[in-house]
Amino acid sequence: MSYVLNTLTKKREVDSIISDTIDKVLVLRFGRASDSVCLLLDDVLSKSAREVSNFTTVVLVGIDSEDVQVYINYFDITLIPSTIFFFNAHHMKMDSGTADHTKWVGAFHQKQDFIDVVEAIFGGAMKGKLIVNCPLPPERIPKYQLLYKDVEEESPLASASDICCLSK
Amino acid sequence: MEEGRKSRTMENPNSETDTTTTTTTTTAAKKKKSNSSDKKRKRRSGFEFCEVCKLSHDQGHRHKYFPSHIKSLSTFLSRFHDNKISDIRFFLRNPSPLRSEHSSRNRFWCVFCETDIDELGSSFACSNAINHLASADHMKNLKHFLWKHGGKTDQVDNFTISEAEVAKWEKKCKSLEIEVVSSNKAASGPLVGPLNDIHNELNYGNVNSFENNNIDSVNLRISNGVMPLQYHTNEYQVSHSGFSKVANVSLFPEDVSSSLPVENYPGTNSKMLNGFTGNRTCQHSPMWNSGKCLADGYLSTYGVYQNERMVKGESSSQGLQSLTQITLAPERSGGNVHSGAPPPWFEAIGESQLNAQQKPVLSNKLGKSKKLNPKRVGAAWAERRKMEMEMEKRGELVKSECNANWLPNFGRVWQSGTRKESRKEFELEKKQKLLKVENQPEVPLKIQPYISKRMDKILLNLMIHL
Repeated sequence: MSYVLNTLTKKREVDSIISDTIDKVLVLRFGRASDSVCLLLDDVLSKSAREVSNFTTVVLVGIDSEDVQVYINYFDITLIPSTIFFFNAHHMKMDSGTADHTKWVGAFHQKQDFIDVVEAIFGGAMKGKLIVNCPLPPERIPKYQLLYKDVEEESPLASASDICCLSK
Repeated sequence: MEEGRKSRTMENPNSETDTTTTTTTTTAAKKKKSNSSDKKRKRRSGFEFCEVCKLSHDQGHRHKYFPSHIKSLSTFLSRFHDNKISDIRFFLRNPSPLRSEHSSRNRFWCVFCETDIDELGSSFACSNAINHLASADHMKNLKHFLWKHGGKTDQVDNFTISEAEVAKWEKKCKSLEIEVVSSNKAASGPLVGPLNDIHNELNYGNVNSFENNNIDSVNLRISNGVMPLQYHTNEYQVSHSGFSKVANVSLFPEDVSSSLPVENYPGTNSKMLNGFTGNRTCQHSPMWNSGKCLADGYLSTYGVYQNERMVKGESSSQGLQSLTQITLAPERSGGNVHSGAPPPWFEAIGESQLNAQQKPVLSNKLGKSKKLNPKRVGAAWAERRKMEMEMEKRGELVKSECNANWLPNFGRVWQSGTRKESRKEFELEKKQKLLKVENQPEVPLKIQPYISKRMDKILLNLMIHL
């Protein structure tokens, strides 16, 4: 599935894609291609990437590369897959009723869900909003537990090199 | 509560007692009211659907007094009246026969009774509808509807047909029938024999398919044919083209010259009409009395498709529904469809004009999208970046290697404050981490003996004294 979408492994690449995507939503998926939930998400992303290509760019980032660890720390990514939205190099937050508004954790149930989310982000960005509401009903939003950062760092499962996958 | 109020009145006697007592009573009354309305609301917590506003509401019986409902009711009724009822009234005044082919298309939905009224067995247009509108059931339903939605009672007359009118209508129908039968007997001419029975129906009065202010009604004219195959196919084509717009009005063979109010039709048709009057032997009778006209001979009326031909070419021989052959206009030098030439309207505009038209249109479109909302997120950054990229493309600005430590503004999860601060915090954290790593080889502390303050003082005094 990842052959359809670009996978980045270097910080420089991520930097350039963030700064070069102008007036389009940038969807950055942080995850591992071999992870099951990541696969689900990648499937949805790759199938709908073309349909939203007018206003969206979808990019995958593999979290196993060393170079990108700084971003993983910076973005507070502890559960994969995590998807972060940018617009004109500004980070877009989305309130989906979960604990973390800064990113989308987990996969999407349908292509249309992803498209709705991206459309909401685009619409909010065009109006100048940095945070938008999630258009999906709560049953279609993957739920997860977000532990406080220090607790997470100590717990063996969630170390930076071994990020646990979320369970739906 | 009331007791409390009473105690207050004890404290503030004199003038305030009256007001307070009145307030107590009013509040009590209000309370009661609110209680009851609460109860009522609780009882009526269900939603109802108002067919007029096409909304679900929980306002119950109050809904029909709301101005929005009143407005939608008036539009609803006027729409129903103008479209359906007026057509039916028209046919009430001028009964015309209903061909069985059209009857299946003439369904009439009565909004008050919420039923379809078919015209399957009827011999005259809208006869079932007319009978329905005169019926007692319909009256009952209409009254119920008006009660439910708050319409005025004078509307009742608008939406029903009285017995007297029905009787008049029936008389007219009968007279028409008799007329036609007699006219058929008298008529000579190229009537195709075996199709006599069917055609008798056809030869009834020509009523125009009457759609108020609908120019599309122009299209609804059937050719009154004799040759069976041609007739049916023509009519089928024409009627199918027309019926998409007209649901409940049947098509009838019509009397072209007399029937068309000029304002309803485009210029070409009126020209055609004028051209035809010479051909017609029938009198210029008032609009809908065209049964007689037909008796005199067959006058073809043509659908729009044939209008052009009629205007250009010779008229057909009376009665025969043969397609006319038109004299082709002198061939244009430009060629035709088969030769792949551009269509005449294309040439007329001219290429330069087209380009000129296109460009402003395009630029308008581009202008729209170029002028992206300046308030959008990161607009300033985007503009700057676009300039940079253009300059890089042109080679003016060497792409400065992005600072390896550049990070986008990101509102972090466990951080409160602005996004810029989050980046700073992150930088700090990074530094701290690095420092932790670096600071492991610590400087050995100087170990000093502990001297208490008392000792210190004593030592000082000693020194001074010394």
